[in-house]
Amino acid sequence: MVDIDQILDKIDRLPALPSSVVRVTDMLTSGTTDLGEIEQIVRHDEALSMAILRQANSARYGRPGRMFDLKQSIVRLGGKVLMKIVLEQQASAMFVRAGAAYGLRRGALWRGALGGALAADQIARTHGFADKDLCFLCGLLRDVGKLVMDMHFGSEYLSLISKHMRPEGTFVECEREAFGFDHAQIGGELAGRWGLPERICKTIRFHHEPPAEAPEHDLLVDIVHAADIICLWAGLAIGYDGLQYKLAPHVRDGLGLDRREAELDVSLTWCRLREIEESMESALVQGDGS
Amino acid sequence: MPPSPTTYRSTEVVGRIVVGVADIALCDDPSRTLVTYALGSCIGVSIYDPVARVGGLLHFMLPESKINTEKAGQSPAMFADTGVPLLFKGAYELGAKKERLIVIAAGGAEVLADDGHFKVGSRNRTMLRKLFWKNNILLSADDTGGSISRTMILKMSDGEVTVRSKGKERTLWST
Repeated sequence: MVDIDQILDKIDRLPALPSSVVRVTDMLTSGTTDLGEIEQIVRHDEALSMAILRQANSARYGRPGRMFDLKQSIVRLGGKVLMKIVLEQQASAMFVRAGAAYGLRRGALWRGALGGALAADQIARTHGFADKDLCFLCGLLRDVGKLVMDMHFGSEYLSLISKHMRPEGTFVECEREAFGFDHAQIGGELAGRWGLPERICKTIRFHHEPPAEAPEHDLLVDIVHAADIICLWAGLAIGYDGLQYKLAPHVRDGLGLDRREAELDVSLTWCRLREIEESMESALVQGDGS
Repeated sequence: MPPSPTTYRSTEVVGRIVVGVADIALCDDPSRTLVTYALGSCIGVSIYDPVARVGGLLHFMLPESKINTEKAGQSPAMFADTGVPLLFKGAYELGAKKERLIVIAAGGAEVLADDGHFKVGSRNRTMLRKLFWKNNILLSADDTGGSISRTMILKMSDGEVTVRSKGKERTLWST
């Protein structure tokens, strides 16, 4: 069995968290929105500027016959929307090429990350959860551990995990049997090394196995856990792991998630993802998978 | 070139037309292959007329459009009850005949320990069977259920359908 710290130490170039994500995360967790600082982040990044211009002039936010420039766009969209655009764009760079170890095509892990963020946001809105921006962030980052697994095991991953795959076992259980840890655990550790707040690390760590009892129980973890399942039903980032995950009964009951709401969340998440992809003029290959 | 109505978003890479989630591709070019990846609870439906050498592939996500009629209007391939008719109509427009069609389905997997609460994969399978039964359509082969991810491939040259999962491939139908 391999120690998580040893693996993280061994990887020469750990996935880096862009400084803009750190700054936006600080704003989200502290509940403060500094439009001036966001403008500074945006002005130094051409791709971000383009994304913001597109969004502000889109059918959703724009005005017929009028084009907003960058400064006007920043004011028009407001801090919350801008922060999400920053996170979407920067996380794209981290996730877009990863996932091959899990049998995912280029772009699939990124679509799964963004889908998780959107699903978590959707569930948080439905349930009036105050920390919906934090839900978005944790949904986005929940599978950072797959980046590490990808970098460490590469093409050997499938042969290593195959011997431990059991139809009745969850995929994280199979990973623990094969490697001594799972991608959620190593993702939580990585988030800790990035210096992210403990609550975010914990959400990443437990997003497949949310604690049911106080004091460990946290609605944030529950929502990100449910969002992960919504993504599976939406066909996002399904690789060798397939659908070998469980929706925790306490999350299902606690959120009052029924068939109708779940299917509605699936369709809304997928449609919103498509809208964002179109607005980003993403070069991702359509269709994820193994 | 395959027809590309505005609701279809399939992309093509060197003769391989990739059908995304909630997407359809129709084709009358025998040099092409249609493929759809990551079928989890979603279901892939392929149809092929070996005489006209016309076929199509649908990747739908949910059973019934009534859950979100507005989105069903924009993305009919998202749902079985709106996507399946579109698939068949599109093939007929290209010259396929219903009585010659070879129809295959793959996917419809479930998350573990669902306990009957959601059963998205099962409901997708049931809706598909209901649609086929109502329209006198027989499935020639299917590979559905479990908790695995599947990739479905339809070769337009001869209608061969293969399914790949965890790096292993098997033929579901061939001449």
